[in-house]
Amino acid sequence: MSQTFQQLPEELQLATSAHVKYIQSLDSRKDEYDYWLTEHLRLNGLYWGLTALHLLGHPDALPRAETIDFVLSCQHDSGGFGAAPGHDAHMLSTVSAVQILATIDAFDELETRGKGKAQVGKYIANLQNRETGTFAGDEWGEEDTRFLYGAFNALSLLGLLDLVDVDKAVNHIAACANFDGGYGVSPGAESHAGQIFTCVAALTIAGRQDLVDKERLGRWLSERQIAGGGLNGRPEKKEDVCYSWWVLSSLEMIGKTHWIDKDQLVAFILRCQDPERGGISDRPGDMVDVWHTVFGLAGLSLLQYPGLQPVDEVYCMPKSTTARVLGR
Amino acid sequence: MADQGRIQQGGSQHGIARTSRVRTDDQRQRDLDRIAKYRDLEDQVRALAAAGDYTAPALFQLTSRLLRLNPEYYTTLGWVLMLDGVLEFFSFRHYSTLFHQLLVIVLGRDPARPRLPDSWEDWYNTETQDLAVIKSELAFTIPLLLESPKCYWIWSYRLWTLQQAIARLRPALARKIWEEELGLASKMLGKDRRNFHAWGYRRHVVTQLESAALQGSSMVEAEFAYTQNMIETDLSNFSAWHSRSRLIPRLLEERGAGEEARRAFLDKELTQIREALNVGPEDQSLWYYHQFLVLNLVAPEKHPAMTPGFTRDDRVAYLTREIDEIKELLEDYADVKLIYEGLFEYTVYLCRLQERQPDAGERADLAAWLAKLRQLDPMRNGRWADLEREVSLEGGNE
Repeated sequence: MSQTFQQLPEELQLATSAHVKYIQSLDSRKDEYDYWLTEHLRLNGLYWGLTALHLLGHPDALPRAETIDFVLSCQHDSGGFGAAPGHDAHMLSTVSAVQILATIDAFDELETRGKGKAQVGKYIANLQNRETGTFAGDEWGEEDTRFLYGAFNALSLLGLLDLVDVDKAVNHIAACANFDGGYGVSPGAESHAGQIFTCVAALTIAGRQDLVDKERLGRWLSERQIAGGGLNGRPEKKEDVCYSWWVLSSLEMIGKTHWIDKDQLVAFILRCQDPERGGISDRPGDMVDVWHTVFGLAGLSLLQYPGLQPVDEVYCMPKSTTARVLGR
Repeated sequence: MADQGRIQQGGSQHGIARTSRVRTDDQRQRDLDRIAKYRDLEDQVRALAAAGDYTAPALFQLTSRLLRLNPEYYTTLGWVLMLDGVLEFFSFRHYSTLFHQLLVIVLGRDPARPRLPDSWEDWYNTETQDLAVIKSELAFTIPLLLESPKCYWIWSYRLWTLQQAIARLRPALARKIWEEELGLASKMLGKDRRNFHAWGYRRHVVTQLESAALQGSSMVEAEFAYTQNMIETDLSNFSAWHSRSRLIPRLLEERGAGEEARRAFLDKELTQIREALNVGPEDQSLWYYHQFLVLNLVAPEKHPAMTPGFTRDDRVAYLTREIDEIKELLEDYADVKLIYEGLFEYTVYLCRLQERQPDAGERADLAAWLAKLRQLDPMRNGRWADLEREVSLEGGNE
C-alpha cells in the first residue's frame, strides 16, 4: 500500500509535524474563550490528544509528569474521575483517565498517589444496572450502549472485568441487534455506526463475537463508503471523518476492512487535514478539532498509513499499550 | 472513549468552515475580557454552591447569566435546564442535589415526600399548581430542542418532567400532557425525519401512553399508520422503514392475524416496496426493507416471522417471484448496482432454501451479476471477491 501513498500528490501527504504542534498547542490556548467553554471535555480531550500523539510517533510530546498530575487531580474519593478538577465524576471521563494512565504506563501512580485501581473499578461497577445489565453514565444519567462499552474498556484495562455481570450486559447488547446486522442505541433503535462500534467492541472484549452476524454487518458497514471515499454513519447520510473510526474499526474487528476501498478512504481523511496549522476536520475545508484529529489518525493507522503507530481497533489506543496492559 | 452525542454538540466542530485562526490584538483583548468575566462568574457560582445555599436568589441570577454567556452548556446540561441556566461544572451529582433543592422551592414542597392534602380543595389547588409547573417546564425546553434536536440531556430532562405528570396528576390529565408530547415528537420528526434520538423518544412516549398508569391501550396500529405516513412523505426515510419492521410482528399478533391475513399483509408490503423500488432503485433504504421482508421468508427462525405458517413451497414461490420482479427492474435500470446485489443475494437464498446448488443457468447469472457489481461498484471489490469464493466454495463442498 505504501507505494500508493507515495503516489499521492503532496497536499495529500500526512502533515505530521503540524498535527503534533496543533495538539501541543491545545492546552496553551487559555487566552481563547473557547478553551473555557469546553472545560467539561478536558479529560476526554487529553485522551484524544495523547492518543493522536502516540499514533503519530511522538509519545513524549506532552509532559508525562504533568499529565499524571492533571489526571489524578480529577479523581474523587469514589474512585471516579471528573472532566476537570472540580467537576464531578462521570463514566466517560473515568474511562478517559484509565486510558491515559494505561497509555503512559502510570497505573502504579494511580495506586500510590491516586485512589487505586480497585476503587476505580468499584466506581464503574456501581454504574451497572444489575437487572438489565446496562450501564449509566453517572448515577443519574441515561443508559446507553456507549457507557456499557466504556465500562468494559476501562475495567478490562484494569483487569477488573469480573466486578460486573458480563453475561447480562452481553444479553442487553444482543437485544440491540437489528435485522440488518447492526446495533442501535437501545433495543428497537435503528442501526448506527457509532453504536455498532460500541456494541461490537464490547462483545469482543467479552469474548462473544459469536453473537455478531458478521456477513450482514460487514455488508451494512461496507455500504457506508460513498462517492468521494468517505464513510457515513447511516444509510443516505453525509460522510464524516469520525466514521473513518467507527465504521472502519468495526470492519477490522470482524475481519472485513477489505470490503471497502482503503485508498479512497485514506485520500478522503487526508483531504480533511489542515496541512499548515495541523488538525483534521469532519469534511474537507471545515474547522479542525482534536476529536476528528484522533479518529482521522486512528483510521489512517488502521489503514496502515506509513509511519503511523498501529492502533488497537477495540480500544482506540496504541496497540503497544494494549499489548503491554492486557498481556497479549 | 468518546461520547459522540455530547462531543458533536459541545467539543467538536461539525460543518463549520475553516477560517484563519490569527486574531488581531483587539480580538485577543476582547477574548481575555470575556474570559475574565466568565471565570469570575464561575467562581461566584461555585462559591455559593459550595456554601450549600441553593436557595440564594443570587445563585439563580448568576447561573442564568453564566448560561447566557455559554449557551453551549444547554446542549450538555440536562435536567437543570429548568433554571434557565446552571453550569456543567456542577456535575450531575451536584445537579441533582441542586435540582432537588430548587424543585422544593418551585413546588413549595419536596416532591419525594408528597403530603396528603387536608381537603379536596387543597388537592385541586396542588394539582393545578403542579400542572402549571410541569407545563412551564415543558414549554421551556421547546426552543432548546429546536436549537439542539440531538441533545440527549434536554430530552431526558423533558422525560423527567413528564414522569412528574404521571406521578403527580390524575391519569386523565397526565394523559393529555403525554398526548401533546406525542404531537411534539411528530413535529420534531417532521423537521428532521432521520433524527434517531427523536425516533427513540417517540417510542418511549408511545410506551407510556400505552401503559396502565395513563389508562392506555396498544397504539401499534396508530404507530404503524404513522410510519406509512412518513414513508409516503419520503420514501428514502430508512428510520421509518426500520420502525415499521419493528412494529410488524406485534401488529400481526394483536390483530390476531390468521394465515390468510398474514399472507395478504405480506403481499401488500411486498407490492408497496416493489413500487418504491421502481421509482428509486438506487436507494439503500428501500433495499434494506426489502431484505427485511425476504429474511422473514428465508430465515423465519432468525427473524420475526410474519408468515410462520408458510410451507417451503410457499417461501420458494414468493422468493422466485421477487427475483423475477427485480429482474424486470433491469429493463429500466441497467446500471444500478443494488439491483445486481439483490439478484445475487436472493438467488443464493433460493438455492439454500431448496437445499441445492445453483443450476447452470443460475451460475451464469451469478457470474454475470458479479461482473456487473465489479464494474459498477469497484469500491467494494473485496466483497465481490469474497462472494464469488463463497458461492463456488458451496459447489466444492457437495
